[in-house]
Amino acid sequence: MSKMFSPIAAAREGLFGLAATLGKMGIVAGQIGRRLYRLDLDHEEFWRNMYKMGVKSVPIVLLTALFTGATMVVQAAPIVQRYGANQLLGWGAGFGILREVGPILTALMISGRVGANNTAELGTMTVTEQIDALRALAIDPIAFLIVPRFVAIVLTLFFSTLYADAVALVGAAYAGKALVGVEPITFYNALTSDFMGIADVTNGLVKSVIFGIAIGLASCTFGMGVSGGAPGVGRAVNATVVASAAGIFVVDYFVSFILI
Amino acid sequence: MISFRNVSKSFGTKSVLSDVSFDIENGEVFFIIGASGVGKSVLIKQLVGLLRPDGGDILLDGDEVSRFDEQAMYAVRKKCAMVFQHSTLFDSMTCLENVALPLRKHRGMKPREALAAARDRLEQVHMHEFGDRYPAELGDGMKKRVAIARALTLDPRYVLFDEPTTSLDLVSARRVDKLIRELADSLGVTCIVVSHDLNSIFGIATRIAMLYKGQVRLLGTPADFKGTSDEIIQQFIQGRAQGPMET
Amino acid sequence: MSATSNASAETTNALPADDGLAASIGRAVFESIHSTREVYGVLVRTLYYIARARTDRDAVIRQMYEIGNRSLFLLTVVIGFIGMIFVLQAGLQMQRVIPDLTMLGASFMELLVRELAPTIVALMLATRVGAGIAAEIGSMVVTEQIDALRMCAADPIDYLVKPRFIACLLMTTVLTLWSGGVSVASGIVTAEVIFQVTPRTFWNLSLVHASDVATGLTKCIAYGAAIPIVSAHCGLSTFGGSEGVGSATTRAVVQSSLAVIVLNFIISSTAFLVFK
Repeated sequence: MSKMFSPIAAAREGLFGLAATLGKMGIVAGQIGRRLYRLDLDHEEFWRNMYKMGVKSVPIVLLTALFTGATMVVQAAPIVQRYGANQLLGWGAGFGILREVGPILTALMISGRVGANNTAELGTMTVTEQIDALRALAIDPIAFLIVPRFVAIVLTLFFSTLYADAVALVGAAYAGKALVGVEPITFYNALTSDFMGIADVTNGLVKSVIFGIAIGLASCTFGMGVSGGAPGVGRAVNATVVASAAGIFVVDYFVSFILI
Repeated sequence: MISFRNVSKSFGTKSVLSDVSFDIENGEVFFIIGASGVGKSVLIKQLVGLLRPDGGDILLDGDEVSRFDEQAMYAVRKKCAMVFQHSTLFDSMTCLENVALPLRKHRGMKPREALAAARDRLEQVHMHEFGDRYPAELGDGMKKRVAIARALTLDPRYVLFDEPTTSLDLVSARRVDKLIRELADSLGVTCIVVSHDLNSIFGIATRIAMLYKGQVRLLGTPADFKGTSDEIIQQFIQGRAQGPMET
Repeated sequence: MSATSNASAETTNALPADDGLAASIGRAVFESIHSTREVYGVLVRTLYYIARARTDRDAVIRQMYEIGNRSLFLLTVVIGFIGMIFVLQAGLQMQRVIPDLTMLGASFMELLVRELAPTIVALMLATRVGAGIAAEIGSMVVTEQIDALRMCAADPIDYLVKPRFIACLLMTTVLTLWSGGVSVASGIVTAEVIFQVTPRTFWNLSLVHASDVATGLTKCIAYGAAIPIVSAHCGLSTFGGSEGVGSATTRAVVQSSLAVIVLNFIISSTAFLVFK
């Protein structure tokens, strides 16, 4: 087995690959940006993708949010009990959900469901020359295919995070009652107390938009750069999912830092 | 009128076209023939800017399209349509929607108008019954006809056909040939066909150019080809395995 | 020996294609129940082959490399940043509510062992490894290699799923330990730089009980088992050519991630109620 563990080689491979990927994504971002500025995107494609991505992700987002909310309560409960402040359970679970866990987990699930799917579709179209067919019909593939999908992904992530936060808080409130005996009213009071503010909500929502941009860019870039038939599409999907996950956490740190 | 002047194209170290020159007159059915991999598709893709030549010029109605950027090519592509080898319909749209797309985008038609106009176009190629089907549900011959209908939506003056009969059964292939001939005869559309289907070549061609080793080996009418004493050309048009031709 | 893919095709054909709301919900429930039974079937058969058949050590080691070494870069980056994020956010909130950061490190360590390390590692593996397994097995299904395996009297579960199962179980635990280390390191740095909490104060294991370690380990094992089984099931039930492989991959990622989230809740609440 010649491919034994070599941390230096792995790190070098990782860094070069990273630089190349970021460069490609930058180019795509520029192409999307120019067309967005002129509001140049296909409306039918946009609504079709909003339905496919947003509406059809609802079950997954709801399930994830419910369980995540409940889990947050389980994690926060011992800490809050230690300080003898059961009434602060809403705060303990709440700030975690709104600022971090809500946006991150929603983004991870959407990246898995929507991002991967989008890459597969774009990849298959690239491999079967449908992109060239668009150009031959004098239709700009970026404006027709890419921009609507990109915008749909960002908006999907924003709205999904919005209702995911709400559902997670509901799940947390009832888990609080079931596991710790904290009444939902107390939970709700803690959420609206002085320790939490609208900043916690907007913080999470701003993150969700930035995550959406990251996932959208990764998905579209890898989708369009596919080569090598069906296995190439598989590789691109894998790359999208990995890049989105890494991007989400890296971006999350910097945004948290900036938005303190 | 279309002119190729000293066109050359390489991919890496592999030279595909070295010095290709010929003209195509208006209203004719012009065949570009040769063995697989000789560069026929590469040549016609350069006409609509899907590939760029390394050297030489390509003129279409007097414009040097080889120099055009992507934006300028849009105007050319409305005049010169292309039917791809694998039909290349959009999987996510029905046949009607496929044909309606150029009408929506370039004639500014509302969706309902465009779909109605698309139905008319599909009738012309006898595919109107399959309008609501998706491409994945159709056979190759049917997809090809839908692709031709889509290419004709903007009433182009030129249509490029990349191996239109290659994956078709004999009956479908002859139907496609008939369509192409009708386009040229009744609508005056200049049809440029890349092919190695001998039945098509000698069935409907006005003139033929044969590519071999990066250059045009012979340019002439079907009769010229049948009567030539060139060994290599005779081997190709008679479909013989043995002979001087290198592939 | 039942053919997983054939069984699911039969069932979906048997249900009428009605689009009413009740029908859709009903269909979703039926399909979930059926899938759960199939997944359980895959798990049972895998365990059977581990107990009864010879294990191909080379295959397991190859899979361990695939899962472990190849995920290392992603995991290190992600878990490093999570350490920083957690310390940042928790520190900020603690400053607001209880202006005393001495227990910041202690809370961090407790949550890391019990929750963050295993779950984050599992989520990352669910995407990377889950997609990989589903894509590989899925491609084999659509190119009829699975059928060829069966013709050679080799059960695909024994040959394909078992090595990945064992490898994933082991590597999840290993990677969790590694991630724990990386996270502690980045946490210490962040606490020092942003909140001026000394490493000595931060490295505080007083809140980490045996129950937390047990919870964390249980999660490693549960996640390590769930991800390959769920993804393999998605791969084995692929249909429809290369688009089917793409769809199987997506389903594997989503279902594995959901499995991790649900298991997380179950194990966390059980631990909470048991160790109160």
